[in-house]
Amino acid sequence: MSTAATMLEPRANPAAPGRYASAILGILDEFAKESMRLQQTALLNVLDDSHAERGRLDETRRALLNILDDASAEKSQFAHTQRAILNILDDSANEKLQLEATERAVLNILEDVDAERMERTRAEAQVRALNEDLEAHVAQRTAALAAANQELEAFAYSVSHDLRAPLRSIDGFSQALLEDYSTKLDDDGKDSLRRVRNAAQHMAALIDDMLKLSRATRGELNICPVDLSALAHSILAALRQQAPERSVEVSIAPGMVAQGDARLLGSVMENLLSNAWKFTGKKTGARIAVSAEAKDGELECRVRDNGAGFDMAYARNLFTPFQRLHLATEFPGNGIGLATVKRIVARMGGSVRAEGVPGEGATFCFTLPLAR
Amino acid sequence: MDDKRILLVEDNADDEKLTLRALKMSNIANPIVVARDGAEALDLLLGRGAGPFALVLLDLRLPKVPGLEVLKRMRADTRCRFMPVVILTSSKEESDLIEGYGLGANSYVRKPVDFHQFVDAIATLGMYWLILNETPPALVKVA
Repeated sequence: MSTAATMLEPRANPAAPGRYASAILGILDEFAKESMRLQQTALLNVLDDSHAERGRLDETRRALLNILDDASAEKSQFAHTQRAILNILDDSANEKLQLEATERAVLNILEDVDAERMERTRAEAQVRALNEDLEAHVAQRTAALAAANQELEAFAYSVSHDLRAPLRSIDGFSQALLEDYSTKLDDDGKDSLRRVRNAAQHMAALIDDMLKLSRATRGELNICPVDLSALAHSILAALRQQAPERSVEVSIAPGMVAQGDARLLGSVMENLLSNAWKFTGKKTGARIAVSAEAKDGELECRVRDNGAGFDMAYARNLFTPFQRLHLATEFPGNGIGLATVKRIVARMGGSVRAEGVPGEGATFCFTLPLAR
Repeated sequence: MDDKRILLVEDNADDEKLTLRALKMSNIANPIVVARDGAEALDLLLGRGAGPFALVLLDLRLPKVPGLEVLKRMRADTRCRFMPVVILTSSKEESDLIEGYGLGANSYVRKPVDFHQFVDAIATLGMYWLILNETPPALVKVA
């Protein structure tokens, strides 16, 4: 029951200090207590609130501090980022400079290449012009050479016909005289006619040899691998057939193959082997050996015999046309064979040499390119 | 054998005389007709009154018509296409050989300077072409 309500109820003790006063005192008391309570509560509330407020302030302060911290961290990150960006800007500025430098360098190179290309085009044009010039010169020279060659051919042809015919007459009619007037001629007369005949035949042989020599330098070359062993075999077989009474020991190395014109090389082997055959004519136990050695991309071929040989002191003229080291009475011949050999071998790009010992024999060497 | 005629085509008088002498010394008694230039030869071979020959000895260097031309025209004519022709000349030039054989010569003999050899050569030729060799049938008759 409330104080007010109790206040209005009849009291048990009528002597107590006035009911109203006590009631009012009680109410005032109550109010005072209430008010104090309220004040207390209010105070407490205020304290609470201010406490809470303080807490909230603290929080706020903390938050602010955090924010400040974050802000500061953020700031330093910004600063960091700013520095990074500045660095990037710097780098990109450098890069740009480098790119520009590279661009200039490339432009320079392109310019140089261009200049070079123009140079080269100019040089090429020059070379072409020179080549055309050269070709024109070569064509001129070739035409001149061809003309000279043709003249030589005509000359050789003329020689073979026109010089031989009179020789035939000289020989023929001398013989006719010898035969038809033998009774009217004394020995001296017959001898004279015989000398006339011999001279005519000798001259015919000279003409033939000269023609052979000139053929060695005329004509087109037909270069191919040539089997020298086979050539040697067939030439010596022919020599044997012409003089079957002779016994000559022959050794021919197999597989000698060189690069050259087959016909002309045949002529070389023919000359050297018939020489070897001829100059061993007076030797018993005659030996002829044909061998070859490959050296430095060349084939050195050797024809050796153990015949009459020659004196090295006179060897200087061995390969000169018409020069002989022996008398015609000792060994027949005109002195053209070796000159022909030398000319042919030189034409193939090789060289010849010879060694000899009088009475013991001779060795003739010639070099040729190896067959490819 | 004796009615086989020989045509000697030779411009050089000396060579003509020596050849005739050589033929005689080889006992070849066949009638011999001599032409002294290419035109005369063609006339005797292909012209009016031409008769067959069993053998033609042909020199290459001839006036008017050269020897190879004579040969060419002979081979182009049916009357002379198979007539035996021996080129008897001084030249040994390969080009002449090639052309001679190319145009249809039967044989190519180089005249030797030595007269003995010449006689031997003529004797051999006579023996072969007039006696041993079978002449183409149409040529045996004399016109």
